Amino acid sequence: MNGDERLEHLAKRLGNAAAARLDVEATARKVVARLREQPARRASWIQPAWLRIAAALVIMVGGAVVASRLTPGHRPGVSPHAAHLVADDLNDLSADELRDVLTSFDELINNDSVAVPEGSTDLRELDAQQLRAVLRSLEG
Amino acid sequence: MAQPQVISVAPDAALILAWQAGDEQAAAELVGRHARPLARFLAGAGAPEADVDDLVQETFIRAFRSVDRFRGQCQFRTWLLTIGGNVLKDFGRRAARRKVLPLDEGVRDWAGDPHEHAEASEAEALLAKCLKELPRLQREVFLLRAQQGLEYEEIAAALATTPGAARVHYHHAVKRLKEIVK
Repeated sequence: MNGDERLEHLAKRLGNAAAARLDVEATARKVVARLREQPARRASWIQPAWLRIAAALVIMVGGAVVASRLTPGHRPGVSPHAAHLVADDLNDLSADELRDVLTSFDELINNDSVAVPEGSTDLRELDAQQLRAVLRSLEG
Repeated sequence: MAQPQVISVAPDAALILAWQAGDEQAAAELVGRHARPLARFLAGAGAPEADVDDLVQETFIRAFRSVDRFRGQCQFRTWLLTIGGNVLKDFGRRAARRKVLPLDEGVRDWAGDPHEHAEASEAEALLAKCLKELPRLQREVFLLRAQQGLEYEEIAAALATTPGAARVHYHHAVKRLKEIVK
């Protein structure tokens, strides 16, 4: 018997013992009983489940929106958290991006405490290094 | 002169239609026809023997509940075996989550010459072990072809691939298995 034939012979025997042990009539009875007991269980379970998930999502999102509006210090259009995240990677930002972040800070603190370098009157006149310095002074 | 008794055997398609119309006996008949080949396939694909009965039941339950999706693209048995493959995969995931190791497959009872059976059992156990290490598609194609004796066209239709690809999977599987089972 060559290798292929031996392999096929073994494959044909594979699982014979398990199949021989199977009580087919009992299996058929159990399958029919289970089908009878739970005919549409899956379909009737899935729909309410999806409805519950959708309802939970709506409540979570709605709650988050309401909470964010009720939080003291919340100002539309300004994201202090975003500014913090941006400030973690100042070296990666271009001058324009730095100006955008500074503008956000500007709005946030009403231009009261921004440490603009001496001699400058407009943020647009600053180069990237100066802008980074301004932002770092705000971080502190 | 007595006429020879003709036993009419309803084709699977007729039994499926009967089951869809609510005939439980038709479902039982389908189980009777296909349960043992399904059990062989599942055991060959790595199902622990203690769980084969449950897995066979689960496969039939899934098949009967989704029988509307069976379009006759292959034989009912072939379609059933592919569902069995999915059931076994899900079983494996659950077992992995529970960290339950399958029982040793070497515990089997045999009738006949003990020495011959010991040798055959050893090779069979080795083949079963090697099959588990094959990619799922290679393993299933190998079993459908070598164990169940299906044609490549039939295997391809069941696994949504081409006969050529099924042939390639089979030859890869054989090549790897032959290296081990010499």
